[in-house]
Amino acid sequence: MARTFYPHEHFAPRPSTFNLLPLKFTRLNGKELLVNEAGEFLFAPTGTIQLLTDQTIDTASELYRDLKAKHFLYDDTSSPLLDVLAAKIRTKFDHLNGGTKLHIFVVTLRCEHSCDYCQVSRQTASRGEFDMSQATADRAIKLMMDSPAREITLEFQGGEPLLAFDIIQYIIPRAKQQARERGKNLDVVVCTNLACVTDDILMYLRDEGVKVSTSLDGPAFLHNKNRPRPGGNSYEKAIEGIERGRAILGFENVAALMTTTAASLDYAAEIVDEYVRRDFHSIFLRPISPYGFALKTRHRTGYQMDSFLKFYKTGLKRVMEVNRSGYRMAEAYTQILLTKMLTPHSTRYVDMQSPAGEAWSVLVYNYDGDVYASDESRMLAEMGDRTFRLGNVHKDNRRTIFTSDAALQMFQASANQSLAGCSDCAFQSYCAADPVYHYSTQGDMYGNRPTSGFCARNMEVIKELFTLLEQNDRETMQIFWAWITGRSLQSEVVECA
Amino acid sequence: MAEPGDSGTSAAAHAVVEMSLSMVSPEALLKTCYWFSRDYVCEVKNQNQSVAIVVLSPKSVTPDFNPDSIRDAFLTNALDFALREKIEAKTSGIRDLLLAKAFSESGVLEDEPEGVFGDKIEESNPDGMFKILNNTQR
Repeated sequence: MARTFYPHEHFAPRPSTFNLLPLKFTRLNGKELLVNEAGEFLFAPTGTIQLLTDQTIDTASELYRDLKAKHFLYDDTSSPLLDVLAAKIRTKFDHLNGGTKLHIFVVTLRCEHSCDYCQVSRQTASRGEFDMSQATADRAIKLMMDSPAREITLEFQGGEPLLAFDIIQYIIPRAKQQARERGKNLDVVVCTNLACVTDDILMYLRDEGVKVSTSLDGPAFLHNKNRPRPGGNSYEKAIEGIERGRAILGFENVAALMTTTAASLDYAAEIVDEYVRRDFHSIFLRPISPYGFALKTRHRTGYQMDSFLKFYKTGLKRVMEVNRSGYRMAEAYTQILLTKMLTPHSTRYVDMQSPAGEAWSVLVYNYDGDVYASDESRMLAEMGDRTFRLGNVHKDNRRTIFTSDAALQMFQASANQSLAGCSDCAFQSYCAADPVYHYSTQGDMYGNRPTSGFCARNMEVIKELFTLLEQNDRETMQIFWAWITGRSLQSEVVECA
Repeated sequence: MAEPGDSGTSAAAHAVVEMSLSMVSPEALLKTCYWFSRDYVCEVKNQNQSVAIVVLSPKSVTPDFNPDSIRDAFLTNALDFALREKIEAKTSGIRDLLLAKAFSESGVLEDEPEGVFGDKIEESNPDGMFKILNNTQR
């Protein structure tokens, strides 16, 4: 005997009316892109927004069901699942939970490199007065541990921090002891060009569980052009240090970052290939930071954001080709944005947070004890502008640092939800505010978005990624999900839209 | 729709947009000008209480400057900002409620967010969002 089911209207009667949930929209590739408060998105036909605001959308249509499923509306046949949506929003802001996690110790300004683009006003390698003292280190460690965060990352920077290795050796055991006493987990990273690293130093770092982050700007001709040092052998030193570091610390404990100068712009594919050749599985196509010494030399190293975006797109295309050939390599900026676009989660990348990561997520303790809101804030100070100096380790505590005039002024401009140009933007939940960048480039912490390089970069990159997501090419999606989840390139694709 | 106005001629070094303020609020108009201000000087004049005139003069004139396409782009953007205002008017109350819930550690709100939410099922749910509001009313 044949059996039939009731029509679906029997189970889900057609709603008589519906209510909108908060959403933002933009137009992209001939469609309307809708984004809800938690960053979930839907590509819809042109005219959908008008139908929604006029309340004339067909409530029996597939589109209506998609809008309902993605939290763009609710009706009298369903609970709006507000608790679920609120939980997703809360997850999106999880980076605020717990307090400042990244603590950067600038242990010296000394460096033996003389890079044009260096963001630090470096000092010659012999001038010890630019090293952090033990007394300053003690106070900085205490302030770091006063953060309510349970997961703390201590990052040594310079100058070249290994030139002040004695103070690193002083800080690490003391920080570890205090972390144990306060029940915190402590990760330690040294950012070094590796030019002066020795096996003894590497063995010490291995024994203390310290990771290394180094610089690799591309092939030898480019790296050595960007990073001059006596002997003209920065590249050779970096490669030798990477190999020795991997051998002693373990392969996964040595990472590399690149900076894009004007000289890099024509070599995106070559830079990616160099990272593949050196067996790195992540590359961060970063623009030059408009701070510190880079401002003085921008006629040699600088470029317009349009040029960087062309470089980024060429580089990303090459990275995708590399992945299609079976070699897993993530582009870090894309990975961060995709995580924000395709998952409910936030990321710990402090430069792309709202409220801005400055102070909330990162604090910088300079060699002289001054405390800054970010590495970029400190770079500005090295050029004589102390706008983002929040205090000094010898005079201030966490409360006075966070309630200083400098901090409060910065906080007012640090949420893109309330900034002109951002408050209506469909990409708001993926993007950030960055008052330090805008102060540095436009003289105004709030910034003017139509002329902002930060806005131009993120707007263009996010549009590029949404275009790829809308195309929904199986292989591309497989690569993207592999980056987000850390799974292999062959894993099954999770449908996103 | 915003009423079409004088689009200028192709020889003109500016585009002119006539905008009905009953369709696009002054706020939406200014937001549109904000985004066009990178490339254009935007001069806004009130023709009368219900019509505004926007003159868009390019900061640097290029040979392919086309007043008609600039005007079309401006109108599209202005109408989008008007739609955003409508959405915000319909959803600001529930947005406040969502954010309050998302960031409430205790689950109890100090102040009831303004607005009508109109969801009877959720209101009748003893474990739902509206229980929180009821707590504050006691």
